[in-house]
Amino acid sequence: MKNEYIPHPAIVKSIQPESSDTKTFMIVFEDKTLAKSFNYKPGQFVQVSLLGVGEAPISIASCPDQKGFLELTIRAVGKLTQAIHQLEPGDRIYIRGPYGNSFPLEEVEEKDLYFIAGGIGLPPLRGVIKSAFDRREDFGKIKILYGAKTPCELCFREELKAWNKIPDTEVLFTVDEPDQTWEQNVGVVTTLWDKTDMATFSGVAYVCGPPVMIRFVIEKLLKSGFKDENIYVTLERYMKCGIGKCGHCNIGEKFVCIDGPVFSYAQLKSFPDKEKAMA
Amino acid sequence: MKVWLLKKDNVKALCASASGRWETYVPIESFAGDVQFMRLNNEKKELFLDKLKLDYESLVVPPKVIAFPQLESLFKFQDEKIIETVKPSVKRLLFGLRACDVKAILFMDDFFKRNFEDIYYLNRSTDKLLVIVGCKHPQENCFCTSTKTGPFLETGFDLQLVDTPNRYVVEVGSKKGEEFVSSYRKFFDEASKDDVECSRIAKHDAEEAVSLRLDFEKAIKRLCENEPPRQMYEKIAERCIYCGGCLYVCPTCSCFNVFDDVKASSGARYRNWDACVFRGYTREASGHNPRFEKWILTSRRYEHKLKYDYLTTGMSGCVGCGRCLSSCPVNIGISQVIEEVSKE
Repeated sequence: MKNEYIPHPAIVKSIQPESSDTKTFMIVFEDKTLAKSFNYKPGQFVQVSLLGVGEAPISIASCPDQKGFLELTIRAVGKLTQAIHQLEPGDRIYIRGPYGNSFPLEEVEEKDLYFIAGGIGLPPLRGVIKSAFDRREDFGKIKILYGAKTPCELCFREELKAWNKIPDTEVLFTVDEPDQTWEQNVGVVTTLWDKTDMATFSGVAYVCGPPVMIRFVIEKLLKSGFKDENIYVTLERYMKCGIGKCGHCNIGEKFVCIDGPVFSYAQLKSFPDKEKAMA
Repeated sequence: MKVWLLKKDNVKALCASASGRWETYVPIESFAGDVQFMRLNNEKKELFLDKLKLDYESLVVPPKVIAFPQLESLFKFQDEKIIETVKPSVKRLLFGLRACDVKAILFMDDFFKRNFEDIYYLNRSTDKLLVIVGCKHPQENCFCTSTKTGPFLETGFDLQLVDTPNRYVVEVGSKKGEEFVSSYRKFFDEASKDDVECSRIAKHDAEEAVSLRLDFEKAIKRLCENEPPRQMYEKIAERCIYCGGCLYVCPTCSCFNVFDDVKASSGARYRNWDACVFRGYTREASGHNPRFEKWILTSRRYEHKLKYDYLTTGMSGCVGCGRCLSSCPVNIGISQVIEEVSKE
């Protein structure tokens, strides 16, 4: 029987600052065989820990096609993530996983893809976005709508600008509080609906962000013609085990860690209102 | 089903003898009168067995502690190296369990096996022998006849002892149970037709003695079909002090927290019992808490047991042991919720 609670040592190879409180860590398992064999799907997460500090679920921001390393984009929020932000290249970190389900991609070939993210909600979508670009010709239009509170809280800005140049691809930014250099949209992410045509019959949406954003984005998507089963949301919950045992992430009879974190809106709708916490 | 006799005088000798080959747990009465399931210590066996109490009302702490202790280390670490602490599987004899607690153990076994296997729990639980001593004097808060989890079971046990005057009638429920009797054959006698009749009467009397009767099936059916009014949970929330005691003593509650403890460069990662009624249970590092309102915590606490466990496994997580009510400082129990939901 495998001991799922034992994490594997890995080394932080490089650190990329994304914003004032967010960094992307490139991580390689110390065990060479594991580094090569570690497979995951876009949308999955790992349990990340520092011995003596604690452990938390972090979504994988890299793309499964890139082998040998993992990228984790982490905002310094709690005790553990603040400690992770103190790490330097060469330091050790512990990883177990991958856990959870993933975003559908093979199943949606030839369809238009819409990615809608808020703040730190982009990293969980980055893997599936990159996977989609790796086989760009298999899909229709791709639109990425990304909002944050301030311009400096937007992650992967250079990458997003590069994606905007890919044919038949549109990347739109918005912020709530612009600075003097900001030339793009101002307002919550749903105000981007005025900037681009979102009407669709068969488009597939991938959504990640704070609960209140998710709620308003879903409303907009439904109005634009997206079907319940074509809207995918990845949820965040407090988790201690990642394997459906500790109980913390339960919603109704589901566990976000093993039944999610990706849920279609059709599923989300069936959850009891009092457990949804979309307010 | 093969039936045997076990003279009451032979019970201690049987346990003492079995403890040589099995890690043996028996109900022991403390000086204060509480009964706890404790491991028979080989050196002080006789001392322990003097306090053996099989006709107890209820174990204060459910036997889940044997496989799922309140606090356990997942691993230790020293200078950034992980040292595994998981213990190898051992043969365990749990002698003197109540039927409801056996149902709860089977429920927990299934949970820790489902999806990902939990090696810490399963190594303590896989190789075990479950011996029921059926309840003779159920306490007033129990309702096992309503949940169909007692006072005796039809299946799920290895041996089931029925308390009749002077002796136990022993029902064999599995091949393992049969092998156990053969291994310790000298303690068992052949049972006659009269003995079987005596046990039938004893079982009937025990069933009659369970006074609290609830329409459990109706409550579950209603919960699965409709949301109960929010006011029902708000009424409980007004009184509940959210101490989590009911969940610690619940024989099927298995939520846990994980934390690291460290001094200088060495320490350990532990898990300890948690409870879904604690405010911090779902609080994220950002401060966002998807389940914050008291009535929602309360609804979660009861609906998980009665509705979601049922939807997932076909078996409710409540086995009718009554511990939640017995231990509650403000006199709330799941039986009251069941009553409220099932009433006209």
